[in-house]
Amino acid sequence: MRTRDIVRRAGRSLRQAKARTLLTSLAIAVGAFTLTLSLAAGEGSRQYADKLIGSNINPKALFIVKDKALFEGGPQQQGGLREYDPDATTSASGAVIKQLNQSDVDTLKARKDLENVQPTYQLSIRYLTIEGSDKKFTGDVSPYDASIRNETANGSLPALGTQLNSTDIVMPESFADTLVSQKIVPNKAALIGKKLTVTVVKPTTQPTEQEINTIIATEGPAGLSRLATGETKDVQLTIRALTKQSSTALSAGSALQIASAQAKELAEYTTQGTDNFQKYIGVTAQAAGDNKPEDVKAALDKAGYPSQTAKDLQNLLFTIVNILQGIVAGFGVLALFASVFGIINTQYISVLERTQQIGLMKALGMRGRDVARLFRYEAAWIGFLGGVIGSGVAWGLGTALNPWITQTIGIGEGNYVLVFQWLPTILLIIALMVIAVVAGYLPARKAAKLDPIEALRTE
Amino acid sequence: MIEVKHVTKTYGKKHNIFKALKDVSFTIPDGASVAILGKSGSGKSTLMHAMSGLDRPETGEVIIDGEDILQLKTKQVDKFRATKMSFIFQSFFVQANETCFDNVSLPLEIAKIPSASRKARVEKALAAVELSDKKKSRARDLSGGQKQRLAIARAIVNHPQILFADEPTGNLDSVTGATVERLLFGYNKKNGTTLIIVTHDPELAAKCDIEIHIKDGKIESITNHKTVSKQATKKTVGAK
Repeated sequence: MRTRDIVRRAGRSLRQAKARTLLTSLAIAVGAFTLTLSLAAGEGSRQYADKLIGSNINPKALFIVKDKALFEGGPQQQGGLREYDPDATTSASGAVIKQLNQSDVDTLKARKDLENVQPTYQLSIRYLTIEGSDKKFTGDVSPYDASIRNETANGSLPALGTQLNSTDIVMPESFADTLVSQKIVPNKAALIGKKLTVTVVKPTTQPTEQEINTIIATEGPAGLSRLATGETKDVQLTIRALTKQSSTALSAGSALQIASAQAKELAEYTTQGTDNFQKYIGVTAQAAGDNKPEDVKAALDKAGYPSQTAKDLQNLLFTIVNILQGIVAGFGVLALFASVFGIINTQYISVLERTQQIGLMKALGMRGRDVARLFRYEAAWIGFLGGVIGSGVAWGLGTALNPWITQTIGIGEGNYVLVFQWLPTILLIIALMVIAVVAGYLPARKAAKLDPIEALRTE
Repeated sequence: MIEVKHVTKTYGKKHNIFKALKDVSFTIPDGASVAILGKSGSGKSTLMHAMSGLDRPETGEVIIDGEDILQLKTKQVDKFRATKMSFIFQSFFVQANETCFDNVSLPLEIAKIPSASRKARVEKALAAVELSDKKKSRARDLSGGQKQRLAIARAIVNHPQILFADEPTGNLDSVTGATVERLLFGYNKKNGTTLIIVTHDPELAAKCDIEIHIKDGKIESITNHKTVSKQATKKTVGAK
């Protein structure tokens, strides 16, 4: 029998058992629905992550550290007695992380394949105040990254690649909203040009007996309390711009930004005399000129500085997305697994019901192989139908709900969690057809082996 | 010409053994109408199955056109049935859910006839059994007589050399039965197709050229209603 004729007859047989065909394919449709959604969610997340990284990280950027453990699922917990390392810091979990010191930074700065080498200053401020109010606030402060274009709501920023002046500060729009709602300024625009004072504390050191004696002698008990609380320093800065809250921006939304030089000064002030003075967990830099970040990374690795490129970070995010996608897809696969038994069962019943038909076809000279094909194609039709129904419903529902999801989880206009694509969907449907055919193998074999004399016995 | 030589068919094993056919031999000339007559359980259906290659007796030969079909491989026997044989059954076995057209088209599809030339042949076969107006109707909507006529259309659409009919009128009343008989014998005479009817009805058997009486798996008697010379004449006249 010709393939085309078998396919046609298979389709007709299914149409004649509409309810059964539909119910069997619905079982597959559940799996197809879940898998289509997981594919769409994975693609959506990847696109979103891509956008996120693209708008936050210069593609040429590298993050350089000294301790590879930082990139390997966090520092490993190390038990036992270890030799003291003056360059190491002990993290909260008790793990030891090697830090970069000033000479490391100088070495990196001297390299020709790197530019904009900037240590990650750990800034901790005690509080900040705004001109015209004595209310104290706290908030994160980070060095300004000149390699990223920030959108401003008010005020203006220097050209891309140019640092802020050391007396400038850039405020996120969300901070400004807080100040407006607290009635410290009438509106956001009024903040531009206002003075903002950052207060930092010098760490206390254990004073020697002689120092205590000198202080008491010169300043009295007041001096002693000053020594105990630590020195503070006020730095007055001018608000230059408000950065727009962007749905895909990671940093701008959450921290005040100050010039790199100012950040260095403040960081050194707050760490002087401690173990962390001029120690940095990492350094940000960009591959200079035409150097590819991957090549620079390899060169840095040889020099003993592990690093991560923008791509590495993207891969890290993708790994997380892939794991989540895998979990959802797992449920889809389970549903499919269950539907396989549905197909086997349905096809067995179909073979039993159509014993006479099979017998007749074989009596008329139809080959056992063709009978098996007839049933396999029927299974393929069921798989196709289930795939189309499941993917179609997922596609329709996903497209309809996308704007609502975007709004609900607030990822910003134009970003969709579910991104449906033709190619994976078509491949999925083909895969489902193959699965259905495999599931229909045993019933098809039973049909092929049916003895026509037995099948056509009337009594 | 169909030659059946020393065919023996047994069922079961050891002490449950049952011989359905015991050393059966006979010859059927081309274009003849033959009745295999016997009571139920006599082995007449088994004989038909053996002659059509559906069943494989342990010993003996069934030679059609000089070829022993019992020696052929399954694939070749299937092809033999698809191109040279046809069947009509007591319970019709038409596909109730399918249209008359699709029912009749099935043997052509099995024989791999291209769809372009199928349409004309199906319509011709339906016309021959006077069912042209039912082309689009589903087989389940037909009466018993119409169903058997549809089965005849399905059997003749392939222009078979041999047409097997297993109790073709068994489920029909005498009027519709007569129509079916008229169609079968008419086709046999007009096209020179060998017609082999399996029946327990002596009246129907008497209408055939040759009557083979079978009892307990053995041939009891063979009655030839026509002389050899007449058959030879009919063969030359009847063919084409």
